[in-house]
Amino acid sequence: MSDELDRIRREMHAVLQQPGVRPDDSLQITRRTFIHRSLLFGAASVGQTFAWWPLLNTIDVAHAAEAPFKFAWISDTHLYERSLNTRFVDKVVRAVQEVQAMDPPADFLIFGGDLAQLGKIEELELGVELLKDLTIKKYYIPGEHDWYLDMGQKWGELFGQPNWTFDHKGVRFIGLDTVSRGPDYWTAKKMTPEERMGHMATLDGTVAGAWAGVGRDQLDWMQKTLADWDKSKPIVIFSHNPLYEYYPPWNFWVRDWREVNDVLKPYTKVTNIHGHVHQVLYNEIGSMRSIGMLATSWPWPYAPEGLPKLTKPMIRVDPGDPFDGVGWETVNVNADDKVDVEYIMWGRKEVFVQSPEDHDKSIAEVIRSRIADKQYPWANP
Amino acid sequence: MINTSTFLCILRRSIVAGAVVAAAVVGPASANKDPVTPKQLKLYQEAFMEEVRKGDLLFHGDAAMKEQLGVKLSTTGWACAMCHPMASDTHPQAFPKFQASMAKFATLRDMINWCIEKPSQGEKIDPESEAMKALEAYITWSNSGSVLVPGKY
Repeated sequence: MSDELDRIRREMHAVLQQPGVRPDDSLQITRRTFIHRSLLFGAASVGQTFAWWPLLNTIDVAHAAEAPFKFAWISDTHLYERSLNTRFVDKVVRAVQEVQAMDPPADFLIFGGDLAQLGKIEELELGVELLKDLTIKKYYIPGEHDWYLDMGQKWGELFGQPNWTFDHKGVRFIGLDTVSRGPDYWTAKKMTPEERMGHMATLDGTVAGAWAGVGRDQLDWMQKTLADWDKSKPIVIFSHNPLYEYYPPWNFWVRDWREVNDVLKPYTKVTNIHGHVHQVLYNEIGSMRSIGMLATSWPWPYAPEGLPKLTKPMIRVDPGDPFDGVGWETVNVNADDKVDVEYIMWGRKEVFVQSPEDHDKSIAEVIRSRIADKQYPWANP
Repeated sequence: MINTSTFLCILRRSIVAGAVVAAAVVGPASANKDPVTPKQLKLYQEAFMEEVRKGDLLFHGDAAMKEQLGVKLSTTGWACAMCHPMASDTHPQAFPKFQASMAKFATLRDMINWCIEKPSQGEKIDPESEAMKALEAYITWSNSGSVLVPGKY
């Protein structure tokens, strides 16, 4: 697996990280960004880099908004039915209350997918009910957990078109659907909808394969959507999966990242904000910055390989505290050419690692892909 | 009267029969005294991988395997793999160690039971049970490329 990942990663770096190519060179480089960038050069071993990271809870991204504003992000609530799991419900309630209490209020909320855990009608409706208390404008994109029980039927009834665009105070926002175009792994094996959903809902499963992608039709739509947009004006793209390659075995990527890059290459101020990874994540790929968001439900560990060098890792969490390592985010778009993402991690003053021991990868591990779902009846012929 | 060759023949048969009985009674201890055959190796490996397979299913919340082994690992829909995809961050190579979350010196089995009881809100399992051995088999197999660092935080 590693050899294949290495090959993909080398290709990605060759294509996307060419000398001199980075998001928006013309804008000011903030101290925080500069420190991140400096890690790319010289021997950036874990021990050395930790010592250099400043104590910060935000990530700066350069932009040029007409007027300052902020919006909020909640995602990956993974709701079961209320009678089965109350902890996940409690955490959504808390996030909703805190977003509602923002002063000044957020201009809108983005819900970044995986509202439900197993795509059930009851789970999706519970999500709608819990988010109803939030009175600001809400935009939704789907996650794989919302989709593969009924192939997006209920989600579509509740939220409409999964991809969309709008302009707000000089920024063009685009919501993408990176989940619905997975290759058909269920028909030939005669799976029930529940079995199809079960494989999709298992992050480290091998049956659903590399399902995350934007798709040619949606790429064409995005290209058309951006055709009238000035190349130097800011664009924020929301997606459930990151729009680059981080760790394909967990679909921490989209398989058509090359094509995504082709469409976005002419634009200099692109920010991608995504869910799915349930962790603090930051990367620069080509002319785009990419920021990973926390879940409200539970944190995923960092992948065993491929963590972007520009990411300052989040702190190792306490598994005994359901409110640790999770939360929501505010995004400030400032008039002085910055976008500030603030992670609201419950119960933590320090979101980022403070020492090598605070990193969940401080114990080196070499792990294998699972086996039980590679055997009958799910084995590939 | 019994002649020498008949006596030796009986003696030889007795020794073989005795060895078979002894092997059946003593089992693996005697087996180790014989050179291992490819067939035996295959059987040993299959026995191990069968436990890994069971552990993989338990770890990923498979209802049928939980029922087969009579365990209730969670009451909330939760499964081990939801925090530990591919058994990452289970760190079997770091046990035994002082486990801060339990405030005690702990084995991997202690940790598994703590996770079942706390985050997963399930029922602790017998540390000697097949379910525990299967979970241990899967977790250690999945991390088998890792280097032993017992005691590491």
